[in-house]
Order: sequence, then structure tokens, then C-alpha cells
Amino acid sequence: MKHTKLALGTAALLALAQPAFAQDQVLTIAGSGGVVKEITEKVFLPAFEETTGWKTKFIAAESNILLEVRTMLASGKMLYDAMEVSAANYPIGVKDDLLAPIDYDLLDPDGELPEQAKKEFGVVAAAYSTVLVQRTDKNPEGRKMESWADFWDVETFPGPRSLNPQPQYTLEFALLADGVAREDLYDVLGTEEGLDRAFAKLDEIKPHIPVWWSSGAQSVQLLSDGEVFYSSTYNGRVAKLQESGIPAEIVWNGGALHTSYVGIPKNAPNYEAAHDWIRVRTMRPDLELEYVKQLPYPNFAPGLFDAMPEDVAKTMPTYPANADVQFVANDTFWAENLDEIRERFDEWLLE
Amino acid sequence: MKMRPILWLFLPAALLLAAFIVLPSFDLFRASVFDPEFSTKHFQRLFERGVYLDVMWRTIRVSLAVAVLCTVIGYPVAFFINLQPRRRQTILLFLILIPMWMSILIRTYAWIVVLGRDGLVNEALAALGFTTEPVQMLFTSGAVLAAMVQILLPIQILTCYAAMTEIDLDLIRAARVLGARPRQALARVFLPLSLDGTLTGLVIIFMLSMGFFITPALLGGRQDRMIANLIEFQVQRLNWSFAAALGVVLLVLTVAMIVLLRAGGRMLARRILKGGL
Repeated sequence: MKHTKLALGTAALLALAQPAFAQDQVLTIAGSGGVVKEITEKVFLPAFEETTGWKTKFIAAESNILLEVRTMLASGKMLYDAMEVSAANYPIGVKDDLLAPIDYDLLDPDGELPEQAKKEFGVVAAAYSTVLVQRTDKNPEGRKMESWADFWDVETFPGPRSLNPQPQYTLEFALLADGVAREDLYDVLGTEEGLDRAFAKLDEIKPHIPVWWSSGAQSVQLLSDGEVFYSSTYNGRVAKLQESGIPAEIVWNGGALHTSYVGIPKNAPNYEAAHDWIRVRTMRPDLELEYVKQLPYPNFAPGLFDAMPEDVAKTMPTYPANADVQFVANDTFWAENLDEIRERFDEWLLE
Repeated sequence: MKMRPILWLFLPAALLLAAFIVLPSFDLFRASVFDPEFSTKHFQRLFERGVYLDVMWRTIRVSLAVAVLCTVIGYPVAFFINLQPRRRQTILLFLILIPMWMSILIRTYAWIVVLGRDGLVNEALAALGFTTEPVQMLFTSGAVLAAMVQILLPIQILTCYAAMTEIDLDLIRAARVLGARPRQALARVFLPLSLDGTLTGLVIIFMLSMGFFITPALLGGRQDRMIANLIEFQVQRLNWSFAAALGVVLLVLTVAMIVLLRAGGRMLARRILKGGL
């Protein structure tokens, strides 16, 4: 294992060392490959080069970006100036001290970014949600679900339901249904009594869940077949469902908003220029609009939604009316507590 | 070293077994008690928590039910085929083989279409006026049982049929000539002679059922999980040592049950031979 890490790190160093020495004004950015890389190179990189006069180098870090960063830090030479940080990686990066704090006075002196977009060690680059979806044709006459409390209300809304068999973003929904305020979710979940309370609430709904979905595709399939009338799912899936002619509707209220970030690794050689990059990546509505057209993962670029056609805007998880009623999934909490809670959850499922 | 030439024929199978059965089994045992230090904690967890015992017990119950149902349905079918003229036997066997050529996954999905809320059965029930609300059939134990029996039934029919073709029908005729009534001839001559093959089929189906994964995962509810589903679940969670412990338990349970079934079958055979049914 140690040798693999070393080899990986050395390979990364060798690959990067040359251009970094050869040219001074080059910003090295690490991120995902594939479509994300394609669009980033087409949309964001030229804009950054134009506005700053810097050159860029985009590295698709396919394997394990944190491992690379860790190796570079250990070797004393950080080669990345900025990097994409996934929701799951963010808390680990913070805990293991791999990220540099964002200087918001430098990035956003006029305070244009909303609070939701700003994290200590990263700025929101993309967002998606886990939400409640209802088959509107299965609802009782003239009624619609509006919250997780409605999801739990099997008297008013009879019919089979489905949830994800993983504790994260299922326990939160149970607590919301039990009347916990959005801002208190993780405080409650962090206590033994709060956890018991979430499980007690899940006990109530368990008999009404004939099947637990294990992939986004399955949740949509179950709704489409009419096997379940109500389910949690990823917001991006719902459009596909509607396109196939199924009358389905998202309940944004109580949805879990997940975000991935763009951040700066510790000891990055061009800390200030990295901020210029983050500004281009997260605060330019014109560029973001181009991006969202191809990948429906919006961020909090100010004014993004003014430029978007209203019907498209309304389907985005960060559309203000949608974002305001959701809670932001606390990945730090789950990074610390997932293993323990998951064991209990798994056994609860089997009971 | 000199070896009798005929023994060389055994070598490929021995190598294959060693490479793909013996060594991986050894690895499985090792993984179940090392994590990374020696520890029996995974087995303790397995036997201390009621939920895992429930799943084990359910796996045995379902597998037994499937094996017995397949036998009860399959034996008469095989008997019927065996009585047909030669040409018709070929056609009937062909018809039974066709579904076996389709993947288990596809046959399981087909059951979703049949048993779903908007499925064939529910629509038929509603059209005939038996029900107003769709009956929940998918994600129940009944759905799992029905699909498993349908998937494994051809194996039992073929095994029974193979055993029956070995029986000289003149023996039945002889019993009749010596004064046995048809039912007696069947119970005291034909049945005991076909028993061994039937028992083999039953054990094979039991064995296959113990490791069934797709069908309970797709057609069953939370309460229908079997050991194989539990193993997959733990592998997904990266609890590989716990998954290995579950694998060991599945292996031991299956072998133990096979021994029991065989012994029970032999006792039954002796009883039948002595005094008939």
C-alpha cells in the first residue's frame, strides 16, 4: 500500500514538474475528467486566461485527488493551485488539513456570493438535491404532498413509498417529518436521544415501504411502474421521468442540498491567482449558464437565474425558491458519524 | 514417480478444483478471522444479533420450501413425460429446456411484469371484478417463492426424468403380473427406484437456493433478504471480513443441510422399501 502511494505520488510529480518550472504564469487546476473536463476547458479556462493573462493547465485527477495532494504536501512541493473538491472529500480535506482557507475579502470583496455558497475551505461549484417526488396522479383528489410530514401521513396519502436504505439523508427526512427545524437537524442527530427519535419515526413508516431503492435509476423505475407513489430521489432524475410522460412532481421542501466545491490545496504556489480562478469558476453567471445547459449542476453565481429561462430555472436545486426550503447536507457530520450510524441502520433494516 | 496413465485424466479436474474452489475457500476462511489481526468478532456479531440468525434461518426455510415444491410439482411432470411416446418426450423436454436457456435476471424481471401493481395478474383480477384495489404481490415472500420455484423447476423435472428413464418398465409389469394393484406397483417398485434421482434433484435445488441472490433482491421486500443479499450488502459497505464470515456460515450451513437431507432421504428410502408408503 505504501509503495503504491509513493509510486503514484512520484508519477504525479514527474508529470507536473516540467511545465511548472518552464513557465511562471501558469495556474494548475486539478479536477474530474470526462464531460466535466471537456466543458471546463471549453467554457471556464479561456475566460480565465482572457481576464487574467495567465495560462492554465487542467489535470484530470482520475484516481484519488486527496491522495495526490497528500503526497505533494509530504514531498514539500505542491503542484496544484486549485482543485475540485467533492462533497465527500471536503470534510476529509478539512480534517486532514489538506486545504487552504478561502480569503473572501480577496475573492468576493463586495459580498455578492450568498452565504450558502461560502465554505471556509471551498466555494460551491455545483449542486444537486435529494428530494421527495410524488406521482401527482396517485394523490388524493385536490391534495398534494408538501413536506416530509406528508410523506409520513399515510392516512391522507395512502399508498406504497420508497426511501434509500442508507442513513444519510434518510434520517434527516425522518426528523423533519417529526417536526425538527431544518437548522437543528444535525444538532439533534448528534445526540443519542435524537438518533433514537429518528429511528422511532422511521419505525412508523417502515410497514409502508415495500421496497428500498438502492440506485437513482431504481427509484425512478419504481415510480414509473407505479410500484410506489412517493419516493426520495435525486432531482436530476425527475426530468427524465417527466419526459417519459409520468406525472411526477418534486417537493423541494425538506430536500437535502449537496454541494461540491472548488478549493485551494494547502501550500499552493499561486494562492492569489487561484482566487481569480475561483471567481471565474463560481461567480460568472454567463459562463455558468453555458455549463448548466450541458450539465444540470448549477452553483450560486450571482444573477445566474436572471439569465436563465424561468421554466429551466425552476427545476434547478439552487433556484432561490428551491434552495431556501432545503437543508444543506452536512458532510462533516456524516464523515465523522457514518460508520457507527450505518451499522445501526443496516440492522434496523433487517429487523 | 510412476503414475497409472488413467490417473492423469483426473489431473485437470483436480487442478481446476484446487485453483477455483479449494484455495479461494481457504482464503475466505482466513479473511473471516483476520481483520487484520486474528479475531472472532465477526462470528460473534453474527451469532449474537438476532437479525442475522433470522436471515440464516429464513434462507434455510425458503430453500427447503423451494426444493420441496419443485419436487412435488416436478416429479409428476417427469412421470408424465416418461410415459409419452419417444417423439413426444423429445418435444416436451425441449419445451422445459427453453426457459432454462434464459438468464435468471430476465426471468426475474418477467415476474415484475406479471406481479406488479399494474401487472398482468392485478389487471386480470380487476377486470374480472375480484378486486378494486391492486393487490401487493411484488416485494413479498410469495413472489420470491413463486419465481424461485419457476426458475429451478426444470432442473428437478430433468433430474427426475433422467432417473425414471433408467427404470425398466417391465418391472412394473412384473409386479402387476404378480398381483400388485397399479398404485401398489407404483409405490413399491417405481417410487423406490426413482427415489435416489429425485433426492439428488432436491439436494441440487436446495443448494442452488441457498445462494440465491437476484430473485430475493428484486422481488422480495426488506423481510425477504437471504444470506447472499446480506453478503453483497456487506461487501458494498467494505465490511469484507464480515462478508467473509457470512460466506463461511453459508458454506457450512449448506454442507450440513446437504448431509442431513441425504441421511434423511436414505432413511425414507429404507422405510419405503420395507413397508411401502
